[in-house]
Amino acid sequence: MFELNEFILKRAEELGFGDVVVLGYETNRRQVRFANNEITVAKHWHERKVELFVEKDKRIANTTITELSRENIERVLKTLKKNIEGLSPKEDYYGIAEGPFKYKDIPETFDKAIVELDEPNEYVEIAINTALSEGAKRVAGVLYTDHDRIYLTTSNGVEAFDEGTGIEISVRAFVGDLESGHGTCSARVLKKFDPELAGRKAGEIAHMARNPEQGPEGRFDVIFDPLAFANLLSYMGFMLSAYAAEAGFSFLAGKLGEKVASEPVTIKDVGNLPNGYGTRKFDDEGVPTRETTVIENGTFRTFLLNTSLARKYKTETTANAGLIMPRPWNIVLEPGDYSKAELFSEVKRGIYITNVWYTRFQNYVTGDFSTIPRDGIFLIENGEFKPIRNIRVSDNLQRILSNVIAIGNEPFQVHWWEVSRPVITPYVLVKDVGITRATK
Amino acid sequence: MCMELLEFAVEKALELGANYAEARFEEKTGTHLAIKNGSPEGISINADRGMGIRVLVNGGMGFASTNVLTKESISEAVKKAVKLAKAASQVRNEPIRFSEENFHRVSYKVKMKKDIRDVSPEEKLELLRKIEEEVKATGVNVPMRYLMYSDELWKKEIVTSEGAYVKSKIPRVSVVYNLVVFENGQMEQAPFVQRAFSGGFELLERDEPWNWAVKDVKALRKLIAEGRKPPEGKVDLVISPEVAGIAVHESVGHPYEADRIFGREAAQAGESFVKPDMLGERIGSEVVTVIDDPTIPNSWGFYLYDDEGVKARPRYLIRDGIITEFLTNREYAYKLGQHSNAAARAINYNREPIVRMANTYLAPGDYSFEELIEDIKLGVYMVSFNEWNIDDRRYQQRYIGREAYLIENGEIKHPVKRPILEITTRALWSSVDAVGKDVEFYPGTCGKGEPGQGVPVWMGGAHARLRDIPLRY
Repeated sequence: MFELNEFILKRAEELGFGDVVVLGYETNRRQVRFANNEITVAKHWHERKVELFVEKDKRIANTTITELSRENIERVLKTLKKNIEGLSPKEDYYGIAEGPFKYKDIPETFDKAIVELDEPNEYVEIAINTALSEGAKRVAGVLYTDHDRIYLTTSNGVEAFDEGTGIEISVRAFVGDLESGHGTCSARVLKKFDPELAGRKAGEIAHMARNPEQGPEGRFDVIFDPLAFANLLSYMGFMLSAYAAEAGFSFLAGKLGEKVASEPVTIKDVGNLPNGYGTRKFDDEGVPTRETTVIENGTFRTFLLNTSLARKYKTETTANAGLIMPRPWNIVLEPGDYSKAELFSEVKRGIYITNVWYTRFQNYVTGDFSTIPRDGIFLIENGEFKPIRNIRVSDNLQRILSNVIAIGNEPFQVHWWEVSRPVITPYVLVKDVGITRATK
Repeated sequence: MCMELLEFAVEKALELGANYAEARFEEKTGTHLAIKNGSPEGISINADRGMGIRVLVNGGMGFASTNVLTKESISEAVKKAVKLAKAASQVRNEPIRFSEENFHRVSYKVKMKKDIRDVSPEEKLELLRKIEEEVKATGVNVPMRYLMYSDELWKKEIVTSEGAYVKSKIPRVSVVYNLVVFENGQMEQAPFVQRAFSGGFELLERDEPWNWAVKDVKALRKLIAEGRKPPEGKVDLVISPEVAGIAVHESVGHPYEADRIFGREAAQAGESFVKPDMLGERIGSEVVTVIDDPTIPNSWGFYLYDDEGVKARPRYLIRDGIITEFLTNREYAYKLGQHSNAAARAINYNREPIVRMANTYLAPGDYSFEELIEDIKLGVYMVSFNEWNIDDRRYQQRYIGREAYLIENGEIKHPVKRPILEITTRALWSSVDAVGKDVEFYPGTCGKGEPGQGVPVWMGGAHARLRDIPLRY
């Protein structure tokens, strides 16, 4: 596709555009969905497209081209030119990165075995059967395989290529209407993929969650399963973007250098993480991805930036372009010292939340939000786990981060329907979490 | 050209052994513009098109899509869909079957008085600038302002092996704003507030979204300056059409989706507290009727034929407090022994059609607003909401007021801060004792499916009065 990229770049430059970024994709994605222990649908997507960003005198435009004939490309470029000419400039636009750059191969991001995998249904059957063997009655979920190629060419001397694979499964097991458990596994290489693990966890939690009673309300010490805490960190990932802060969608706005979390909390974005589902060699401007510490021992260090926003704030890019909106690649909560058993033994009376969904904010700038535990929820009393149901976490995101008192020592990668940006997090213990329930 | 490719795909699928085949071409073209804190952010031009093919083979379902619209590429996609369906049929307890329907060969479109393609980007930006100016003119301190305009023309053609042919052209226009008010050291927010329609640019001009923004920032300033805690204990609660809209969407529309009821969405959006044998059961008071109607002209969720080619009609989900109808597609209509009520929607060519809402609303009663509040001794009027959520069986929900007022002895008094309605679905709809006369609609993007399919919907209805509600704050 580089030939096509070059053609687009050349024609864009001939038409008088300044900064030009051409990002080509070739993707092959396969999905197997299942519910009630059977496959409900199997899908395949094949897509070729080019995302194009152009600038002229601080006027910027972008588009996606899916019809890649030269005639259509000419037409699209002329449309962009016509639209951009009468448009007001983006006064705070400061350009794209100066290339070329050197890129390193990132381990565990490509596996030919996934490309050549003919029939993934056996993994679905393994997950279903494992969950059933743990006591589940109904099993639902989804399996994906991915094979992507990306081709980047910019007017600032970048020509970069990356190829990646992935395979992942999300499994939800039910014992009855009210009793369920969830497990996931995401990997970039086949040898790290374990559908049995996901099925086992889903089945085990569903089995443990039998006969739940109405849960209490008040403030409780809460152990968040990686699946549950990943949900909160995934929402926070969006708030880490400098763009989100400017637009009024981040509780971190105006808090650089301030304490926003407790001492044990160190959060990074790692774009070059081996086996990370969001890992890529370079960002959308071609800057090599890297590790960026955003919260260090509780102190907020940096927003995620692209080159233009970095120049605006007189700092360096964090390699998170998005040409308009910087975004995280893989959000990592640094592990602590606690084994899982030690973490649970810290809680005399508290709640273990295995999963949450439907996180919504009353106020993004203050961080006030609620989220709903789903699947197994357990009241922990003197080492015993009593299944409960129908509660809600109603609190503030910064307060949650500031009340983290212990972090497990084993990280888990979480990426599923509710956690669209990959998160790597251990089990986390948070004190005094607000819990509410219906009043009528 | 397109029709020929669609028929080619369907014929090819049947040749390869499919028992049913459906090919859908979609093209979406449009523009997206934003202004952040007074500064234009540039323009996005959307031009996306492709074809999706869905097949049934031996009771297994397969779907494949491609955006390379050549016979070779489409042929590959068909082969993949058939192969996937065959393999899927091996891991099924019973075959998937579709309900019998009457199909049509039709073409329809929504007309634009002011065609979005003839309006310059700068004129579209002017709409956002007008919001900036009017908000500024209020004198309210609004340090963070994010305004978005978007328009899209959706062209769609569907051909099925059972004789359906549906061609449609639906333009959609939308404005979204996020406004953060900072006064007296306090911050309040009106996030993701949207005005949206099916039709031309003139609909946004007529709607005057700047008036909504002005109303919001003034209400938030008043809330900061004069807002007090909501009353404690059980009170009467009047919910506006906007709040009634989110409540019917979340606790009536979603749990009545037949695919959820039968567990197909269990690992994602979840199941439902509603079971097939609950048809005919009372779920609310006699004044509660909830309708989902895709055919409302210029509505955000508008369509006349669904993505399986079935003709749309209003669906009475609750009539006089009784569960009367679920939302169905052909697969789940068959399971229920019914005909489909045309709820199958796909957001794009690369997504399968699944059961969705369109425009869901609380049907009007016969009370004026004054009559609704006149006998309330102590209560709250919830005008708008920010935070909301509901569990994945759609039974325990919560809505937190953004703009809300105390009602005392039949009169609207001072603003109240963040009243929280946290309630079960049965208690919510059983507590309604009166419904207003006038209906309003509010747009939203309904999320469901994997990969996600955010579809445009309207939510709304009339005002409703709920008795004896313990509010939180």
